[in-house]
Amino acid sequence: MLNKEEVLKIARLARLNLSENEVSVYQKHLTRVLDYITELSKVETPKEAFVRHIPGDATGLREDSVKVFSQTEALLDNAPLKEGQSFLLPTVLEQE
Amino acid sequence: MDITAHTIQSLLDGYQKKEFKPSEVAAAYLAQIKKTNGKLNAFLQTREEETLEAAKKLDAKMSEADSLPLFGIPVGVKDNFLVKGWQCTAGSKVLEGYRSPYTATSVEKLENAGAFVIGKLNCDEFAMGSSNENSAYGPVRNPWDLERVPGGSSGGSSAAVAASLCPASLGTDTGGSIRQPASLCGIVGIKPSYGRVSRYGVVAYASSLDQVGPFGKTVWDASRVLEAMAGNDPMDSTCSKSSVPSYTKTMESFSLSGVKIGVARSWLEGVDPEVKKSFEESLKLMEKQGAKLKDIELPHAKYSLSTYYLIAPSECSSNLARYDGVHYGYRSKETRNMDELYSKSRGEGIGKEVKLRIMLGTYALSSGYYDAYYMKANQVRRLIQQDFEKAFADCQCIASPTSPTTAFKLGEKTDDPLTMYLSDIFTLPVNLAGVGGISVPSGLDSKGLPIGLQLMGKAFDEPTLLSIAYQYEKLRGAFPLPKGLN
Repeated sequence: MLNKEEVLKIARLARLNLSENEVSVYQKHLTRVLDYITELSKVETPKEAFVRHIPGDATGLREDSVKVFSQTEALLDNAPLKEGQSFLLPTVLEQE
Repeated sequence: MDITAHTIQSLLDGYQKKEFKPSEVAAAYLAQIKKTNGKLNAFLQTREEETLEAAKKLDAKMSEADSLPLFGIPVGVKDNFLVKGWQCTAGSKVLEGYRSPYTATSVEKLENAGAFVIGKLNCDEFAMGSSNENSAYGPVRNPWDLERVPGGSSGGSSAAVAASLCPASLGTDTGGSIRQPASLCGIVGIKPSYGRVSRYGVVAYASSLDQVGPFGKTVWDASRVLEAMAGNDPMDSTCSKSSVPSYTKTMESFSLSGVKIGVARSWLEGVDPEVKKSFEESLKLMEKQGAKLKDIELPHAKYSLSTYYLIAPSECSSNLARYDGVHYGYRSKETRNMDELYSKSRGEGIGKEVKLRIMLGTYALSSGYYDAYYMKANQVRRLIQQDFEKAFADCQCIASPTSPTTAFKLGEKTDDPLTMYLSDIFTLPVNLAGVGGISVPSGLDSKGLPIGLQLMGKAFDEPTLLSIAYQYEKLRGAFPLPKGLN
């Protein structure tokens, strides 16, 4: 089973603050799923991982044209905190 | 006839005969939602005034009804599609109160075809789940039995159509999220080929697997919605430029005679006996009409669950990094610095299953594990794709049950993630292979719960797939609707 520290490390990488209780739940659930998934190591696979999932005719070149986006206000309206045309955030660099 | 008992096909017919106007149809469905939604929790939002206004605009266009393929059809939209002015939560607390600044291409195309939005539908948080119990806004209940789940993640979309709260709805399908709930609610659901429908304006979960698709009471209805929204979109670089034929025009004259249907027998182990029985009966029905059954092998399909639960979480851990509390969505109240702002906002705002998948993906992509997990999963995915390519070289479609069981009880599978994941074993490989799939009701079990037949078709061969499904539906005969809701 994944230990507490391992779960906390993954959570930190994923920027997820977890409660004590959550850590023990995810120890169990992550381990359960990861144990199951190890079956893939038994499958013989070709070396190249090439997966073609995008239809061949989807991509292509197009004219590089400028379109004006006029929804600035609508986007700012969804901001958790704003000041004028800016998103308001806590300090990035903390004072010593 | 009660307006809400109509199909799209009969509504269009009624408009032609001037039996009713779009505003009357809108009012009838809104009244039905008011009456029944409290029991189902299928709709998260309706906007009566806006909906009636849109319908009234159509009233004035009755003379143009002929030229609009979805004239006056109310459509319910899963809450992970943006519709300008409407809230879009994706079933998450993170997006509570988020107002869509623009409309998804798929919805816009339906509106251009004469349809209008009747409401936004509940779903598992960020479309992750198989029972609709992962919604931050409470579970949806199955109209056939209110103690049971409607399936997921598009549970609101399937329950609403089954309960006649709208004649059609939109959902998204990443691993079965349209077909499995369609099966559990006794309606039709289509997962088109990857790249058939634009995903612009749809909340992303796992981008190499996500696809938009319709729900309807019949194959004709769902196909009509699909043909109206399929096609190229410059705003989605994964969307095919190939033309969209009219599916509904060709399905009537299609003959099952000589059609080869592939069945992978080894795949059917562990399926509920009643589901299996209904499946065999469906095959026999088509065989009687001249279809040829062919035993096929999909040797790597059994690895679909493991493959999916590496690829989808990996993509989701990246896609959901955008919910950081900065530009929109939930922000934790007490944060002293940026790091706390990210982790606390995400920790408090995101639900249990979504956190699990984000962490699974983060782990699979992390240094030292990437080759063993993510890379390996992509290699196996290629083998699954090849299995389908080989099978389709010699048959027009592949048949399986849609889900190994009928609708299960609320809370029955919430303790163990794997038990829940297993309800998608037949639908997952279709997304991994990028091909098309449809679920059509095939019967009822002894508890009176619907069973679904899944038909899978070659990538971009929706015309054949939907025609086979339509002909099967005709052989099966009329399918009942849930009783006792009113």
